[in-house]
Formats: sequence, structure tokens, C-alpha cells
Amino acid sequence: MIPTTREERRWFLRNLAQGLVDYAGTAEPPVPVEEILTHPPDLYQRDFGVVEMFSSLWDATFARPLTQRGNIFVHTNLDSAKRRFALARETLSALITSHHGRRMGLTDLLLPELRDSAEYFARVMVAPDMMVRAFREQGGDLDSFAETFEMPIEVAAARWEDPIPNGR
Amino acid sequence: MSMKALNKLVARSIVDPSVMQAFGDGSFTSVLEDFEFNAELKTRLTSIQAPNFAEFSILAYRTVKAYEMAQKPRIELPSPLEGLLDDRDQASGEQVA
Repeated sequence: MIPTTREERRWFLRNLAQGLVDYAGTAEPPVPVEEILTHPPDLYQRDFGVVEMFSSLWDATFARPLTQRGNIFVHTNLDSAKRRFALARETLSALITSHHGRRMGLTDLLLPELRDSAEYFARVMVAPDMMVRAFREQGGDLDSFAETFEMPIEVAAARWEDPIPNGR
Repeated sequence: MSMKALNKLVARSIVDPSVMQAFGDGSFTSVLEDFEFNAELKTRLTSIQAPNFAEFSILAYRTVKAYEMAQKPRIELPSPLEGLLDDRDQASGEQVA
């Protein structure tokens, strides 16, 4: 894989997240993250399961036993905003390890910086550029941003600081 | 406009297997027809050699970005030093130097 900059990687991630949001046909917040996972595009039928689990170790984690369906195991007691973000973050692992994702070459590009990539991908998935731009134009503040997009406040603060390119 | 078209292509690639199919079987030009790339960019994009679509995307991003930068009108501003000094002052400055 050719060396890439963070800007290039983030540009790519933004478009992957936007692709899933477009697929869901979502034009306004909140993006139905769990709906995308439970009714994924056909090519991810074996990649996007969601399984409830008690865990004190993590909020959510993706696992794919050999030759079996990939699932995001999500802590059963998370509040709605944290659950949405955790599911969105683990969605990137589901994409990377899927048959389609491996064919695309996502592993080579995204695995070396997986944590940063997954968190950025999740921020964009729960708050896509176009929706953030529209929200800002209406003059919303950070608290209402977190509430409208159903994000944890610390995630909203990070997303608020992300550069949002003009247009799509 | 071209970057917007590339954004849409990458967004589509994650949910539409036909993009990958075309990338793999040499019919990728027909996919590019669905997006608003001009003829020159289409030629540049189809000439990119990459082992997979992710790497193609990054190289395409660089290509489109460079192309858009080259298309931007350049405004040549005079140096801030020029025009502040009249010809006589400039001449004496040169003599001192």
C-alpha cells in the first residue's frame, strides 16, 4: 500500500460513512445506525450482526469467528447515544473484514491506524458532513448538536472540531 | 465538481458491488460515465494503476485535487514593497545597497 496522509485517509473514511448513510436514505439526524446494521446492503448480510452482551471490558467490539457471521457484541446497558457511537465505530471493523472490504483493499489502508480511523468514521456516520453543515447554518450550539444527532457530548465536541469540507 | 464526483464514486463503492466488479474486470470506464468527470479527468483516472480500489481511490484523490488546483484562476498580486516607494526612492535605495 502506498503511504497515505491522515487527510487522505479521512477523506476516504468520510465517503465510506456517507455511502452507508446514503444507502439508508437518511436526510436528517439522527442517522439510524442500528437500522443500517440490522438491515444492511445485501453484500453485508454476513457481516453486520448485532449481539447484546454483558461486559465490563468494553462498550462494543466486533468479532468474526472463522467461516461464521461477523457480529458486533454490544454492552447491553449502554445509554442510547453511547450505544449508537459504539456500534458505528465497530461498523468499520465489520466493513474492513467483510469479503467486499477485503476485495476493496480496506485492510491495507485502514488497519494500521484502526482506532483513529474507526472513531473518525463513527463521528461522520452519526453526523455526516452535509447534516453538520446544515445544523451550523441554523446556528445550533454544541449541546443541541449532541442532542439532535444523539451523540455522547465528548463525541459531539470532537465532531464539532472536525474540519467540514465545502459541498459534498 | 470533480471532487464531488469522486466522493460519490467512493461512497457508492462501499454499497454497490458493481463498482468493484467493473474495477476488476476492466470495464471501469463505464462506471466513470455515471459520474460528472470531464473527459480529461476520465482519461487520467482510467490510467491510474493500482492493485485495489482503496489505493486507486487515494491516487484518484491526489489526481483530482491536483487537477482542481491547476484549474483555479491565479491572481498575481504585486509585491507589497512595489508601489510604496516611488522610482526615485527605489533608485536611491538601490544605490545605498
